[in-house]
Amino acid sequence: MSDLNFDYTLLIPELILAVAAGIVLLADAFHTELRLNRTLLPGFTVLAALAAGLTSLAWLDTSDDFATLLAVDNFTAFFRVLFAFTLATVVIGSYEFVAREIRHQGEFYAMFLLATLGASVMAASQELLTAYIGLELLSFSLYVAVSLAKRDPRSGEAGLKYVLLGGVASATLLYGLSLIYGSAGSTSYAAISETFAAGTANVELPLLLGLVLVIAGLGFKISAVPFHMWTPDAYEGAPLPVTAILSATSKAGAIALLLRLFSGPLLPVKDDWQWMLAVISLTTMVAGNLIALQQTNIKRLLAYSSIGQVGYMLLAVATISDASASALLLHLGGYTVTNLAVFMAVIAFYNRQRSERIADFRGLAETNPYLALVITAALFSLSGMPLLAGFTTKFILFQAAAQDGYLWLVAIAVVMSTISLYYYLLVIRLMYVQEPDGAPAPDPQTGRLDRPNLRWRTSPASYAVTAVLLLGTIAIGLYATPLLEAADDAAAVLFPA
Amino acid sequence: MIPLENFLVLSAILFALGFYGVLARRSAILILIAVELMLAAVSINMVAFAAYLDPTRFTGIIFAIFVITVAAAEVGLALGIVLRLFRERASANVDEANSLKW
Amino acid sequence: MGMEQVVLLPAIPAAIFVVLALFSPLLPRRGDWLAVVGMAVVVVLALAVAFHFQDFFGHGEFDPSGENARAFEWLNLSNGLFQIDLSTYVDAITVVMLLVVSIVALMVMIYSVGYMRGEARYGWYFGALSFFTASMLLLVTAGNLMVLYFAWEAVGLASFLLIGFYWERRSAAEAAKKAFITTRIGDVGLLIGIILLWREAGTFDIQQIIEFAEGGGFDQRYLTVAMLFLFMGAVGKSAQFPLHVWLPDAMEGPTPVSALIHAATMVVAGVYLVARMLPVFDVVLVARDVVLYTGLITAFMAATMGLVASDIKRVLAYSTVSQLGFMFVALGLGSPTAAMFHLFTHAFFKALLFLGSGSVIHATHQQEIEQLGGLWRKQPLTTWTFVIGSLALAGVIPLAGFWSKDEILHAANHNLPVFVTLAVTAGLTAIYTTRLVLLTFFGEPRNHHAYEHAHESPPIMTLPLLVLAALAAVAGFVIYEGVGQALGFAGGIGQLIFAHEPEVFHFDRDLATFALAVSLGGIGIGLVYWWGTAERATRARGWAPELHALLVNRYYFDDLYQSLINYVVLGAGSVIAVFDKRVVNETGVDGGAQTVGWFGLRLKFLQTGRIPNYALAMAGGIVTLSLVAFYTS
Repeated sequence: MSDLNFDYTLLIPELILAVAAGIVLLADAFHTELRLNRTLLPGFTVLAALAAGLTSLAWLDTSDDFATLLAVDNFTAFFRVLFAFTLATVVIGSYEFVAREIRHQGEFYAMFLLATLGASVMAASQELLTAYIGLELLSFSLYVAVSLAKRDPRSGEAGLKYVLLGGVASATLLYGLSLIYGSAGSTSYAAISETFAAGTANVELPLLLGLVLVIAGLGFKISAVPFHMWTPDAYEGAPLPVTAILSATSKAGAIALLLRLFSGPLLPVKDDWQWMLAVISLTTMVAGNLIALQQTNIKRLLAYSSIGQVGYMLLAVATISDASASALLLHLGGYTVTNLAVFMAVIAFYNRQRSERIADFRGLAETNPYLALVITAALFSLSGMPLLAGFTTKFILFQAAAQDGYLWLVAIAVVMSTISLYYYLLVIRLMYVQEPDGAPAPDPQTGRLDRPNLRWRTSPASYAVTAVLLLGTIAIGLYATPLLEAADDAAAVLFPA
Repeated sequence: MIPLENFLVLSAILFALGFYGVLARRSAILILIAVELMLAAVSINMVAFAAYLDPTRFTGIIFAIFVITVAAAEVGLALGIVLRLFRERASANVDEANSLKW
Repeated sequence: MGMEQVVLLPAIPAAIFVVLALFSPLLPRRGDWLAVVGMAVVVVLALAVAFHFQDFFGHGEFDPSGENARAFEWLNLSNGLFQIDLSTYVDAITVVMLLVVSIVALMVMIYSVGYMRGEARYGWYFGALSFFTASMLLLVTAGNLMVLYFAWEAVGLASFLLIGFYWERRSAAEAAKKAFITTRIGDVGLLIGIILLWREAGTFDIQQIIEFAEGGGFDQRYLTVAMLFLFMGAVGKSAQFPLHVWLPDAMEGPTPVSALIHAATMVVAGVYLVARMLPVFDVVLVARDVVLYTGLITAFMAATMGLVASDIKRVLAYSTVSQLGFMFVALGLGSPTAAMFHLFTHAFFKALLFLGSGSVIHATHQQEIEQLGGLWRKQPLTTWTFVIGSLALAGVIPLAGFWSKDEILHAANHNLPVFVTLAVTAGLTAIYTTRLVLLTFFGEPRNHHAYEHAHESPPIMTLPLLVLAALAAVAGFVIYEGVGQALGFAGGIGQLIFAHEPEVFHFDRDLATFALAVSLGGIGIGLVYWWGTAERATRARGWAPELHALLVNRYYFDDLYQSLINYVVLGAGSVIAVFDKRVVNETGVDGGAQTVGWFGLRLKFLQTGRIPNYALAMAGGIVTLSLVAFYTS
């Protein structure tokens, strides 16, 4: 086995994250002795994230692997950068929140770092066991992070639901992986792909069951209906920054793994799984968008809305090809930016108002027009409004899927994204149309009033983060080509010409 | 020699029993044990496949070892969360952890 | 200015929008002058484009791939398989639209300086107007369906923002939402239509699609479906039946906005789209017939609703919907000339009427025509310009509306049912216009408080009225060659507008006499019926109460749609939510027990809590997928 490549420098971004997690944990353990400034740990975490993101650029346009376990190529680089960006953004946007609401800050940041590490490993994996370890690292960190809220009893409950159901899901996934291993005789993607392509797989039955179980297990991670039941509860119970990570890193990591699996080892048996993903995509986008209509808590609304978004993404996995993989990566990038914009704005709102009820957003345009603008733009983008990221990326995604013949599913997706506009507009209407709390009733004759000054300011960190994300949302909407080229390069790894 | 199918059937039964336990039990601890059963089924599968289909390498066996390790970590972690909930509510009954819904 | 730089036209107001949105509070007068001056520059540039275009294409054939087209690659997927260019394209239709949009926008902006004075968010108002104008100019210069779609959505957004300008008023916010969602239904159709066209033609470029269609590249049935979807977008944007419901409500916006967006420019985007794609519609006549009859139904229905509306702006809104119907009829008959000509004249006189009604509202704070009356003594300028606009709308010679309506009637000459319906509608138009003018400006004042306080509007508001009145009076003459030549156009302005069709002018003495008789007859009926005492204003109500109720309630379409939303969309949402709540979480207790019931431990699990139920859903998914997989493989 001496021909294996044990070049540890390939893993520098992952090593940075791991070491940083260790340092943060240790520093937290001795925080009374060290008299830590409250910005030190988040600052260090952000630096580690930036370092990991920047170093991963060193392997752009190379194609290498670490002991045939982890691939270091453009696909990996795309996700490394995406995860690092997410981590840095979330930490900057929420350090004030964390300082007040979280029991053990060091642990909390360490969990974020480890989750990012796990997701990177998933995206880079070339082998089933490695993928599984990455997945569990991601999941375990988030189980802990979900239940770290200081005062909120919902946090513990959400953690319990997540960890128990997550255990069931990973056991399901593992059983599926074991059956695929049994069918193909190997855990390496390349070897599995060869076996299936040659048609020398052992038996059809275990393979089918294995596919069902793998889809169910990963479906849990990406909150595909009907494996989504934990999502709204965990989103609501988790501290806000964790909810953001759940909807960004955790989901993107699972999508990366789905792409690696279904474009590589499982591609030769496409006929066996394509319809499954199409069906799940259908149930997911329909249920997610329709249930979202009835929500009163902003986190639950975003949970269901993100479920709907997953439906669109699964559409691209079901119709996998180089075009749809690249469209999916582009959409994932745009969605991450938009979604983080909503979450960071909601965190800024929560910091001030201590509320997650949608009804409490009323009059936000009056009290904080900037934040109202960010939320409006991001929600419009999520619903697929032109000039914003959501439209461009979703359009390219649907277009790619339509090329592969699932036109009826694309039609439903378009209808669903129109329906989604309805519940986003409900929030926007509250912000712009209704009076804020504490405002006197307007004069019925003129509609005007002398109102007390209810304005409040966004903190500088939140302001900076939301501004960057807002500009990103608009920039991707107006000119998506740079991101698209990155996505093309990443997808080219999966489908070598 | 015992045919491979016997192991597979055993593991399938074990997995189904585990899933049944998850559906049936109300104590968080018992649900965890049920999840352990499911993971044990995975290990049996892995080792059996390794022995029958892939005898020259140890992939399946290594996989099984990892599964056992990770399962242990998972139990530790889940117990911590159950403990926190138990301190807050004096109960490990999952039926009572239902303030988050709809 | 050449046609390659036509992209400057949308760029100027777009830049002004950015400046106003960011810095308006810092600028003197909140930057209104910037918007006005910028728009004046755009008008000059638009005229330059028109002259240049005339020099270039005034005579002879028209080369679609020539100097008038320009492209910049914006997005390119799979090496040209899916390519979107930021391309501009100028032809006669574009030039007409450029002139209409820029001139009306300039007039509206000047007028707004007076009308909106002292409003909160004054700077934002001008910013939003600039944003709208930029999007509209982009829309009419787009050479590519995707760019057109972008601009299409952007004007919708601008319309949403401006209808909801007084968002403190609940009705305004509701109207904004209604307009947005209703037009968005059409937009979905448009997008589907665009994608369908692209799937077969492989390009978004409008001229290439037209060539492809004319070359018989599309399957007939496929193309019919695609064009019907495309037409859905036009129906939504141009407020045609059955998506007409949003336009009357959109009158909640400031009146100058109604004049610009909801009379002269945005609502004619649908007409523009169909005119632009008409060569493709010509390939599938079924789709063109749908355009024809949609327009016909709308024209007639909206005119009847205009008869009973009591809000001055709503009467004008129904009139707009009805006139847009006329344009679609012309397109459906295959005559883009008549449609674009009517669009051209209609823009001026309808903008004039809206601005005039704004002047009335500004002076009296009253919009109900039953509360007005006798204003001609107080507001002579407003009154007489309004009368000119009304006569143009009614189609009285020699005002603009007469010539363009005549063109449409001429196009319908060979289709008797269509011709009769149009003639009846034209008569109705004259009747409701007369009613509007009489009740607003003549007769006895019915609300003395409003009347006493009325006064003529300041010059900054009456100046645009005068300019538009002049245009409404003479715009029809462009069809005469001599007029154009006198202005310096080689082939007359008529040929500029009708570059596609050398044979321009269909004046037919008999037909014109008939049309004029219809108009005058309508005006006569109106005069007899409403001239005189105050009681006459409301006497239509007693005449046929059921019919009156039907019309006042707009054929109950709004109620129908509201119940559709209430029962179907929200209903489906709550059914699924209830399913999630009850079936999975509560009844799922029983369901779970039954699923695993054969283990014989049913009773014990009746109390199953929530986590098991969640696991049950997962198990259900796994079992279902497995069963289907095994039975189908």
